[in-house]
Amino acid sequence: MDYKHLADQLDMSEEEFSELAALFVTITRADLKKIRQGVSNDNPSRAAAAAHSIKGAAGNLGFTHMAELAKKMEALANAGNLDNFDVYIMDLETRVEALAAT
Amino acid sequence: MQKIQPYTVLAVDDNLLNLKMIEKSLSREGYQVFIAGNGSEGRAIAREKHPDLILLDIEMPGENGFDVIKKLKQDAATNPIPVIFLTGVSDVNAKLKGFDLGAVDYITKPFHPLEVLARVRIHLKLSIATNSLIQDQAAKLLQVAEAQNAMLPAPQNFPDATFGVYYKSLEEAGGDFYDVLTISEYITGYFVADFAGHDIRTSYLTASVKALLAQNCTPLYSPGESMKMVNAVLQQMLPPEKYLTACYLHLNRSTMTMTLVNAGHPPAACLPVQGDAYLVKSRGDVLGMFSDAHFGVLRMKVTRGDRFLVYSDGLVESVDKKINWAAGARKLLPMFQNLRAFSCADAPRQLIRHLPGAHKIPEDDVVVLCIEV
Repeated sequence: MDYKHLADQLDMSEEEFSELAALFVTITRADLKKIRQGVSNDNPSRAAAAAHSIKGAAGNLGFTHMAELAKKMEALANAGNLDNFDVYIMDLETRVEALAAT
Repeated sequence: MQKIQPYTVLAVDDNLLNLKMIEKSLSREGYQVFIAGNGSEGRAIAREKHPDLILLDIEMPGENGFDVIKKLKQDAATNPIPVIFLTGVSDVNAKLKGFDLGAVDYITKPFHPLEVLARVRIHLKLSIATNSLIQDQAAKLLQVAEAQNAMLPAPQNFPDATFGVYYKSLEEAGGDFYDVLTISEYITGYFVADFAGHDIRTSYLTASVKALLAQNCTPLYSPGESMKMVNAVLQQMLPPEKYLTACYLHLNRSTMTMTLVNAGHPPAACLPVQGDAYLVKSRGDVLGMFSDAHFGVLRMKVTRGDRFLVYSDGLVESVDKKINWAAGARKLLPMFQNLRAFSCADAPRQLIRHLPGAHKIPEDDVVVLCIEV
């Protein structure tokens, strides 16, 4: 992940950006947990709300792929469709953990 | 070094990351940022801290942004604070709804910190400019009000005219007006008028009316003629759709006659020394509207100690309670009668005190003149 580029895009220092990225990791982990709960309890609106949160946060930090993925999940959950969510969750999780490791 | 008070911005969003981003980007530019994670917390901070601007997320669990702005706008403490919505929705109807509810702008998510900063700056500038404009206008209105009050004659300056007055203007510069004219040693004119609408232009017009009265209420003219002269000039001078209702009471303490000229005004009330109070009704056209206006002129003999009450419709009319002049004026009579024990100077104030619902804010300007023969 090219932090410098993303930080520049937001007119921030790398330090400021990594602080926000760390916060993003914490929030998104919690949101992913909510999505899992939504799937296991068959509660699409809970999953949709958490996906909405990830979409906004990822979008603002310039994590476009994660934002797109969350957007897709939000739309599906809003339509009551939680099929294949395990795959999406895995995908998001991998990316968030990669971010956490940097 | 003097401490500079920073501009304050409140950000309300259920997403902590968005809040932190806003906080970072604004605080490094010198703003003080308050953050709230939900609507009710946001409203509490808005009330307590009175920020200069609010950034408000629309989609939040619990109270959403629309609910929050509605409540902010209903609350006098938070109503003037400009609100910018943050939204991931680009739906035009949702945006229009937000503007309808009082938002000044939108920032679409995902947002760029510099866009947030730019919009915050522009709306703070706008808000400051609007506030200074309002203060400027209020100061001007205050000057007008002071000038207007200075024009209203005080009873102590007219000891021979024996009258009492109550004058209350609803806004800084009111549409009601009264004047007392010394026509000769024994003759006094009392004039009460109500301009249709009270705006700043009306306030300036009162000065012209005062000058017109001074020119035309002289021993040369009968009271009816005086009003016809005033009407002719006003008709030329007033903007279209602008007119005034007026009552001119001409009291000759030598011949003991009272002449009342009515121009579309509520009836005067008479409280004779002996007997019950009654309305002195005469119909007439309003002032300043028609060149061939006809005014109701009524002459009557008076006795020492008789009292007259001349007032504007604000005293007897209530749009809220659906009370018109006629009904309101009739209800006034027993109250007027009960004020016999009070001096003429004190009667108008006592009348207002005894009005039902007098503690409430008046719906209109009010002027009450009590005249004693």
